[in-house]
Amino acid sequence: MRWLPLFISLALPFGTLAAKKPSSPADTFNDFHTKAISTTPVKLADSSYKKLTASPRDYSVTVLLTAMDARFGCQLCREFQPEWDLLAKSWLKGDKNAESRIIFSTLDFSDGRDTFISLSLQTAPVLLFFPPPLALTLFLVLKVLFDTTSQTVHAWLSRHLPDRPHPPVKRPVNYVAWAVGVVSTLGIAGALAKAGPYILPVVQNRNAWAAISLIGILMFTSGHMFNQIRKVPYVAGDGRGGISYFSAGFQNQLGMETQIIAFIYGLLSFSAIALIMKVPRVADAKKQQVWVLLWSAILFLLYSFLLSIFRIKNGGYPFSLPPLYVRER
Amino acid sequence: MAVATASDPSPIQVLADFGKSKSLRTLLRVLILCFIAGAAVSSRLFSVIRFESIIHEFDPWFNFRATKYLVANGFYDFWDWFDDRTWHPLGRVTGGTLYPGLMVTSGAIYHALRALTIPVDIRNICVLLAPAFSGLTAFAAYLLTNEMTTNTSAGLLAAAFMGITPGYISRSVAGSYDNEAIAIFLLVFTFYLWIKALKLGSVLWGALCALFYGYMVASWGGYAFITCLVPLHAFVLICMGRYSTRLYVSYTTWYALGTLASMQIPFVGFLPVRTSEHMPALGIFGFLQLVAFIYYIRSALSGAQFKAFLFVGLGAVFGLALLGLVAMTSAGYIAPWSGRFYSLWDTGYAKIHIPIIASVSEHQPTAWPAFFFDLNMLIWLFPAGVYLCFQDLKDEHVFVVVYALFGSYFAGVMVRLMLTLTPIVCVAAAMASSQLLSTFLSVKSPKAKDPEQEDVADVSSKKTKQSAGSLRSANSPYVGVYSFLSKGLVSGIMTIYLLLFVLHCTWVTSNAYSSPSVVLASRMPDGSQHIIDDYREAYQWLRQNTKEDAKIMSWWDYGYQIGGMADRPTLVDNNTWNNTHIATVGKAMSSSEEVSYPIMRQHEVDYVLVVFGGLLGYSGDDINKFLWMVRIAEGIWPDEVSERKFFTPRGEYRVDGEATETMKNSLMYKMSYYNYHTLFPPGQAQDRVRGVRLPDTGPVLNTLDEAFTSENWIIRIYKVKDLDNVGRDHAAAASFERGHKKKKATKKRGPRTLRVD
Repeated sequence: MRWLPLFISLALPFGTLAAKKPSSPADTFNDFHTKAISTTPVKLADSSYKKLTASPRDYSVTVLLTAMDARFGCQLCREFQPEWDLLAKSWLKGDKNAESRIIFSTLDFSDGRDTFISLSLQTAPVLLFFPPPLALTLFLVLKVLFDTTSQTVHAWLSRHLPDRPHPPVKRPVNYVAWAVGVVSTLGIAGALAKAGPYILPVVQNRNAWAAISLIGILMFTSGHMFNQIRKVPYVAGDGRGGISYFSAGFQNQLGMETQIIAFIYGLLSFSAIALIMKVPRVADAKKQQVWVLLWSAILFLLYSFLLSIFRIKNGGYPFSLPPLYVRER
Repeated sequence: MAVATASDPSPIQVLADFGKSKSLRTLLRVLILCFIAGAAVSSRLFSVIRFESIIHEFDPWFNFRATKYLVANGFYDFWDWFDDRTWHPLGRVTGGTLYPGLMVTSGAIYHALRALTIPVDIRNICVLLAPAFSGLTAFAAYLLTNEMTTNTSAGLLAAAFMGITPGYISRSVAGSYDNEAIAIFLLVFTFYLWIKALKLGSVLWGALCALFYGYMVASWGGYAFITCLVPLHAFVLICMGRYSTRLYVSYTTWYALGTLASMQIPFVGFLPVRTSEHMPALGIFGFLQLVAFIYYIRSALSGAQFKAFLFVGLGAVFGLALLGLVAMTSAGYIAPWSGRFYSLWDTGYAKIHIPIIASVSEHQPTAWPAFFFDLNMLIWLFPAGVYLCFQDLKDEHVFVVVYALFGSYFAGVMVRLMLTLTPIVCVAAAMASSQLLSTFLSVKSPKAKDPEQEDVADVSSKKTKQSAGSLRSANSPYVGVYSFLSKGLVSGIMTIYLLLFVLHCTWVTSNAYSSPSVVLASRMPDGSQHIIDDYREAYQWLRQNTKEDAKIMSWWDYGYQIGGMADRPTLVDNNTWNNTHIATVGKAMSSSEEVSYPIMRQHEVDYVLVVFGGLLGYSGDDINKFLWMVRIAEGIWPDEVSERKFFTPRGEYRVDGEATETMKNSLMYKMSYYNYHTLFPPGQAQDRVRGVRLPDTGPVLNTLDEAFTSENWIIRIYKVKDLDNVGRDHAAAASFERGHKKKKATKKRGPRTLRVD
């Protein structure tokens, strides 16, 4: 029986150790690191966020505060999320022994409303970085970044993690795309070889090429490349619940707007072509008269419509078709 | 199928016959072309009439300065010119890093006029060079269009369109003395010579084409457009099975001589055999040899042998060529795509990798209003003209189609390349409109319902339907227009449109493209014009009040103007060849005074010039360009400059009281807003560009002295203080002085007021 106190006294330190376990920084790190191995970046909620970023730390944490829910309409959040996942994954992969001691995590607004409020954040996504020993938080508001790719964020993190390994971002090889590409190339080549005699007349058809060229020209001259490069929205609201087809301003346009313009250009061109090519080939005088009237009317009305659209874009434009000249207001 | 009209000549018939004699037609054509050239020149003179004969914008000032150097020192000195007054302290091997065509052209004109004892100032030649060449461009467009169609009136219409279309005027008003001023003429003329050479298969025309191509290379970096378009045309022709000895002769002549000619320009040097944008031309050159060889072999071998030879030979050659290309690229003999060119294909590339390119608005994509603004009704006549080219698709029509597609793609990607699209738009639109007019303006009307004629028509229609490869719309036979009503209606509409086009062009030119941007014009409340001449005021101040070799630091946009107008050395200028040096200036502007001052001392900067539009509401000022300075500096020193520190935690770019500390401490902010609040009663200080109220206490400058502020505060010049006499740092010295002078200063200085005339 005299062994019991000894046992107890021996057990005591173990007990305290056991009790201390969750609050030790090393353990928190190991905890979250094991979570990260299964899914990285780690999904956080309010409580786990507090736990992870609690002040005595010997590891660093980065948290992406985002709002993925469709209700918030955060385009950038959705664009950045795959980049962020990629960065976290390739970091974890490149740093198997966790030498950089960093946890990548994500906190969505729907899981961490209180955190957003306590940080008084108005914008998302925001990247937080907690360097190891300090009770200091670094903010990176992604909206102001020049480009939001994983490389930029990687460079930013690396700058704040001196003398730690910085595993580079590795984009995974898209095997599916490769397979699809190879198979479809082979398939198309085979199909072409087989169907050559049938396709050749189409390829050599002048009308087809004329149509392709005209469509290309109409597309490019109606600002299609601008849409591609600037990623403009297709339509926009007019603020009163309706749709606005034309955005005011000389340097802006909407996706739908360019399609309307391309259509108008196309119709104008077509009526010019019809007047040049088709009408003089109509043998019947009456019919010809009707066609001329029809195409001229289309030419006239559409062009005046085009001018009126252009006056929306360029406020001071003084010309319009029926009166020819509008005084500047 | 023409049907005779009544036997007695109507008055209209007489009038029509009047123009039928050949010599009279030629005379009329010459007269019309002269009038078109006159119209082209005079519509570009708005700025000279409204302001004065002055060089515009930024780059022209450098060209002007280089031309003056050429005229003063002769050609060889110009060729070897090392300019130590720019890019201080590096200097620039100017003779080897510019396109000398423009300067040599105006130098030659100057000397020719001198030889004719016409005393003319070189500045006037430079100002009026672009309008003069626009007349020539109109003539070149006439020639090019005449190669495309038998209808000579199309050429005249094309010349008229080319002369006045805003897409070309935008770059060639009087005073815009830039490379494009002569380059567009050379572009159109080279294309004309290429078509001529291709049609005739003539070495002479091919050599002429190469000669003008060489001139083009000497004039404008846009020569790559020709370098890519001509091979593309040749390639498309080969693919269509239209290889001919004409093509072989003209292409090989052009390529061999043209490449040699282009390599004479020091700035181009060996680029034509090393960079990827020249590779299509080289590749097609090799391909043509192969095709020619195969055609030769086919004439010598039997069918089966030839087939085997074709597969083995072609496969081997292509494999070898591909391997060679890969090996040379990886070994570094062939440079990968240069940044500017690459940004045309991968539009995201420039945005990420080359902020200096992304910062230039000329490299932005084109929204549709810009197309309509610059080309008006030509933009929808253009596809119609291209369609007409498919009617009898000869080699030269293929060129129009290829050029149209290629040109409209590039014009859509980059605003600046609207210029290369404009010629083909004019040509195609002229073809369409002249066809339309000649169809509806012919006096002869076909007789209705002639049974014989119908028979003929039926036969011929069957014939045309059988012949493959023609347009569907051209299947039935041509009859003509019957009624005068249709003729009158369509030609009336067309006349109105042409009239509207002229009005549009004049309006656009006068409103959008005729401002020199060195001098700003505004309207007074009573409608009279008020000239804001701050730029020249400031540059004149620099010229008169600073040492000959005082170094001026400013953002690179103003480098050429300072060099040209103030004649002072600059740190960086619009020739953006050294990104690091530009980033150094960006860092000095975006850092705090303690960081900037050593940089400025190291570069021996005497004065710093900033452009500030807050008082006037002039939006093109340095605070609005500031983020680009920060970005470019951050690209080189990511640890010291960081863009996000210029944004508030909410992600806003602010300049008022809420601005971030980094913003408030940056040299650019301090220089822009220094003493600005004293113009206003307390609490009323306002920035009219950003539309915000500024704090009551302005920034404090310790290392700079305000030297000059122009009338409307657009340009502010600061003198860099020398080191302190007793070795204090500037902040300490300044605070000591403030401590002493505090009472005096308040007595002496009342609130500053804005000068009002």
